[in-house]
Amino acid sequence: MRRLALTLAFTAAVCAQSAYAQEDTVSIGIVTAQTGPLAAPGKFQMNGFNLAVEVINGQGGFEVNGKTYKLDLKVYDTRCNAAEGASAMQRLASVDQVPIVLGELCSPVAAAEAPIAQDTQVPLIITVPTAPNLTDEGNPYFFRINANNAQLNRALGAYVQATKAEPLAFIAWNNDAGRGGVNGMKALLPADFEIGYVGYFNVGEVDFSSHIANIRTSGAKAVMLLMDEEPGALAIRQIRDAGLDVQLIGTLAMGSNRFLERLNADYLNGMVQYNALPPNAPLERIKAFSDAYSAKFGEESHGFAAQSYDAVFAAVKAMQAAGSTTEGPKIRDALSALEFEGVIGPISFDDKGQASPPVYVTEWCEGGDRKVIFPPEFAAGCGAG
Amino acid sequence: MATAILEQFINGTMMGSIYVLMALGMVLIYGVMHVLNFAHGVLFMVGGYIAHLFFFNLSGSYPVAILCSMVTLALIGMVLERLVFRSLRDNLRMQIVASLGLILIVQNGVVQLWGPHALQMRPASVDSLVRVGQLSFTVQHFVIIGVVVAAVTTLYLFLRYTRLGTAMRATSQHPEAAVVVGIDPNRVYTITFMIACALAGLGGALLGPLFLIFPQMGDAPMLKALSAIIIGGMGSVPGAIVGGLGIGILESMSTLVIPTDYRDTVVFGVLILMLLVRPWGIFGVRVRGEN
Repeated sequence: MRRLALTLAFTAAVCAQSAYAQEDTVSIGIVTAQTGPLAAPGKFQMNGFNLAVEVINGQGGFEVNGKTYKLDLKVYDTRCNAAEGASAMQRLASVDQVPIVLGELCSPVAAAEAPIAQDTQVPLIITVPTAPNLTDEGNPYFFRINANNAQLNRALGAYVQATKAEPLAFIAWNNDAGRGGVNGMKALLPADFEIGYVGYFNVGEVDFSSHIANIRTSGAKAVMLLMDEEPGALAIRQIRDAGLDVQLIGTLAMGSNRFLERLNADYLNGMVQYNALPPNAPLERIKAFSDAYSAKFGEESHGFAAQSYDAVFAAVKAMQAAGSTTEGPKIRDALSALEFEGVIGPISFDDKGQASPPVYVTEWCEGGDRKVIFPPEFAAGCGAG
Repeated sequence: MATAILEQFINGTMMGSIYVLMALGMVLIYGVMHVLNFAHGVLFMVGGYIAHLFFFNLSGSYPVAILCSMVTLALIGMVLERLVFRSLRDNLRMQIVASLGLILIVQNGVVQLWGPHALQMRPASVDSLVRVGQLSFTVQHFVIIGVVVAAVTTLYLFLRYTRLGTAMRATSQHPEAAVVVGIDPNRVYTITFMIACALAGLGGALLGPLFLIFPQMGDAPMLKALSAIIIGGMGSVPGAIVGGLGIGILESMSTLVIPTDYRDTVVFGVLILMLLVRPWGIFGVRVRGEN
């Protein structure tokens, strides 16, 4: 009898403890690539999420309807695989019952996750994928905090026209992001702007020799690389080792010190890329984030991390505005009306769920540092990029 | 256009050499042991990782790293043959299942040990360039071609002129007769597997520094090598060489006339055509009863 009473008391204590923990902690769902060919940018993304959670919890948590909550992350590795992304999204919504999901790295995977977000009424905020069509589907539960290819290309398009970088060649991922980027840039350029060569490669491919041969044959003066840092480093090394003297134009992933470490200043000198967060730009919001990021992770900050960081705050502010940590439709409505100043700049979502953060263009200098060349009002010399 | 053709011919010969190494290993295992080892790609990948480990943690000498990779893979091959494939001889279905299982175990094991991020390895031959007219290649391109030529020559001489090589050829032709003349088939199978794995390790150690060393690096070469041995003729060493080189050059040259993302279509299209027209391969032997 005494043993039964002790067992019941112990069980009640455990249940009460669990219930107490569940009431005080809100788990936000995260879908990202922790392994596979996109594990490197996935690390930036996770660092941004983790830093935001640390800041929020360090301030005592966040309040909703007078009750204070701590934040927790429920992370699934989707490995840039659509089937795994869909499965993770379904699990987060149905089993883990998170109020909101953030993340994803790959546009095709985000496309697979989006319908599940709508079906389960769990808002999904993506923080990296750039394919423009993702926010054209009319999905009310799908939001994007980062700039899409069209917005990114507008910044680079001005540079390409101004420097008359033609014939222009492309090497891009063979997916929505890559093809969307190529089509978007072509649409921005004048009809008579000469396009030299357009080549696509599948995620995971490492041999760019065929593209290089075709670029050489086309006589292109500039090459736009629409890919991430790992294939980007390979492509740039192979282009330069093959003796191809072309202007290199890259993506946000190719503007970090970590990218520089993959190559060296000689390979990158003169290369331009769009950038969501020039880490050394003389803006207080960027400086504060860069300092905090460097202090925690011992490396330079990155746009992917900043976008992910801001997404966590968007989620928290939406829950606060909605007055709920569980009701997806209310959180979704709050997100649509949200406006705040994030690390990446002013954040609000249009009627398609797309934010419009500022986009910068940076250029690698001879000494391995960067300068900002666009927008003109933020132009700064080497070392301030 | 002539420049592009030359450039792609050299690139294709380099990749084709890697496929030859892979295909030779697979054809040895199939020809002598009648085992179809789909895990050959992950062994190739492990070769790259082992070379990286020895290069950075030991002497810093690339040739030593390559040799250590080959020796390590040979030892791994010995273990795999005895623990996994010996008991599955003459059971093709279970061999395939076992090798598919090995792929999962080895790839995930590598991720656990080395992490998910790709590794870089930059020996001097990768950082040094050679000019061929207006073209430029890394020295590693020609190191790969040269080393593979040497490896193939050594293998040929071994199979042709040594007792063990003769024993391997005898066992592949007729295992029972080989036993009758005093050949120990278990010993032959173990050594065959060791040699095949050493060749895979050599391939990984050669290609890894040129691009990246990552868990999936052996997947595509394995498929191309499998295609090479089918096109060349299952069990045929000359077939593996011709098939591997042919695929490398074909996929490279085809990108001059068709979009690059279709090059695999060309390779596998040739494979399908060969299976329809001449399923025993270029150098294979047509077996009575086959159409």
